[in-house]
Amino acid sequence: MSTPPSPQGDRRFDSAANGDAELVESHAQVASKQADEKGNYSLLPLGLIFGSSALIFWAAVYVTKFSGHYDPKMFDETAPPSTGVEVVAKVDPIVAGKKLYLSACVACHLPDGNGIAGVNPPLAGAEWVLGSEERLARIVIHGLKGPITVKGSQYNGAMPVFGKVAGSGYNWSDDKIAAVLTYIRQEWGNKGAAVSTELVTAIRTKEGGRKEWSPEELLQIP
Amino acid sequence: MSTDSNDSTAIDTHSRGPLLLLLGSGVLWLVISGVLALIASIQLHTPTFFADCAWLTFGRTQALRETAFVYGWLANAGLALGLWIAVRLGGEAMRAGNWVVVGALFWNLGVSLSLVGIAAGDASGHPYFQIPVYAQPLLLVAYGAIAVAGVLAWAGRRHETGFASQWYVFAALFLFPWLFSVAQVTLVWLPVRGVLQAVVAGWFAQGIYSLWLAPLALACAYYLLPKISGRVLPAYSFAVFGFWTLIVMGCWTGGRHLIGGPVPAWIASVAIAACSLMVFHYLVVFLNFRSAIGAKSTALYFTSFGLLAYLLAGLVEAVISLRGVALHAQFTFVEQAVQQLSLYGAVSMVFFGALYFAVPRLVGKNWASSSLVGGHASLVTVGVVLLVVALTAAGFAQSHAMFGATQPAKFADVASATRPWLLVATAAQVALLLGNLMLLVNFAQTVAALVPFRAAANSVSRPALKSVLS
Repeated sequence: MSTPPSPQGDRRFDSAANGDAELVESHAQVASKQADEKGNYSLLPLGLIFGSSALIFWAAVYVTKFSGHYDPKMFDETAPPSTGVEVVAKVDPIVAGKKLYLSACVACHLPDGNGIAGVNPPLAGAEWVLGSEERLARIVIHGLKGPITVKGSQYNGAMPVFGKVAGSGYNWSDDKIAAVLTYIRQEWGNKGAAVSTELVTAIRTKEGGRKEWSPEELLQIP
Repeated sequence: MSTDSNDSTAIDTHSRGPLLLLLGSGVLWLVISGVLALIASIQLHTPTFFADCAWLTFGRTQALRETAFVYGWLANAGLALGLWIAVRLGGEAMRAGNWVVVGALFWNLGVSLSLVGIAAGDASGHPYFQIPVYAQPLLLVAYGAIAVAGVLAWAGRRHETGFASQWYVFAALFLFPWLFSVAQVTLVWLPVRGVLQAVVAGWFAQGIYSLWLAPLALACAYYLLPKISGRVLPAYSFAVFGFWTLIVMGCWTGGRHLIGGPVPAWIASVAIAACSLMVFHYLVVFLNFRSAIGAKSTALYFTSFGLLAYLLAGLVEAVISLRGVALHAQFTFVEQAVQQLSLYGAVSMVFFGALYFAVPRLVGKNWASSSLVGGHASLVTVGVVLLVVALTAAGFAQSHAMFGATQPAKFADVASATRPWLLVATAAQVALLLGNLMLLVNFAQTVAALVPFRAAANSVSRPALKSVLS
């Protein structure tokens, strides 16, 4: 060292009180966990043991309570435990039915449900819509061909196949069919009962894949 | 070896070249990052400032400030001080000193390249990882060259058990390449997809602080206090528990940055629990250093300030990680305040302390100016306190404007509520910049005593030193 040790308090130099070897050895002695001359071991302070236990307890409780069950798709830490049963939200058939109606049916039956004279029959106030659910469901599942009389007038258009059957262009599920049927039975002042998915499924399983219905065949069905 | 101030100067004289190169570059980067931080701070309340200069728009000045500070100042200074402590405690002359010089040159070349790249718009865009793609491998290799000396110092140490500072330096030397290479692969070379990127980025940003910078700062603190006071640390027998808590828990706290995000809920919950467990680490650190508070020594003044900031930052982190509080802290200036408290208040201040202790020993001469030391200490103290207080207040004002009102807050209202505090933050940045300029001038004057440098550095050869030491 080219300069003499500076007095305490000089900002230009901080003097050291011990050498490096001394520092390492004195601390190694403390950490060595050997008994001292009286045979006593150094103990961890009780406060530190209790403090760390409390922290570990709190952390464990927190993680258990807010783990989201370690589900990679669970973003809500307060979600209740999964029961293993898939919960599907109930869909309002009127909302779903309207969406389906506007995506397909509206092109022929028009938004007001009045159809086109001579070609596509009306749905609003039609006896075919408000009458037998069995007949109505068959028309949508399998389609319809041949002249049909609705509200006293004759119509010649063809109804395409919508159900999940062979040759169907739409392949709508039974849920969708039931929803759109419920919709047309309760829209435009119609006051028919809702059509259940079970009924649609039952008809589809019973009839299977077949050609379009004719009005005469349908009238045989109650 | 005598027990007064001139402890083991032969080792210091031998290693002064590489270490002063690292320290000098660090201090230079500190001043550069101060200028960038000032620009970024002014832009927060005066958005037109440099708004028509693409290279200095806010997004880039913010990234530039951060990169210059972390990879320029903290990395250079932290590595230099860590190596210095590892070599001294190892008790042998520094080995692979030439590697350190080459590594330091390339590291600083890499940092310069990064800054130019970020200004040109090539930032990679992750917090604390803004370095452009083409500079990343260079930095990793340069780091390896520097770190070799630290590993050799540990491997060749004289005392089997080692001291707490040695554990921290050794852990930090190995953890940085782990963090940095994993981040490179998973964020840049073969980027992971979707939210996993945010998870990795959060892990990396937290790891840089908890597993690299904090251990280096703790190594300095653990070294300085017993060295200056001459007493054994009061709670040294369980310092090892504090060490392992930090190493094991440190990275897990990264998930707190993702609270409320579209990540699995358990990641945030585990992070919050880890923040609480870290309180144990802070407790052990406090028990060891309580006697340092209020000591009459420049080095210990900075160190105790830094340690208090470190403890405060840890406790604040544990509180603001809680989901209800995070709502107000996460996206406001409160988060910025905690960052400045950790990086400036804690890590930098401890590094300043160690710097003031180390440089006179490396140079072999006292600091050139006593008033510059005092000026630096007071300006930096005022700057850090003002900055943290102003950003916290701005954060509260922001949170109050956003959540307190019955009407949805308007951006202009939120901005005008924070404006007065952001002006205070700019004043704090001016104080910090002036203080750090004093450090740079003082450092340059002190080291100038060694000119011509080469002749002085070669005055002790390694074989000659070996015979002196044995």
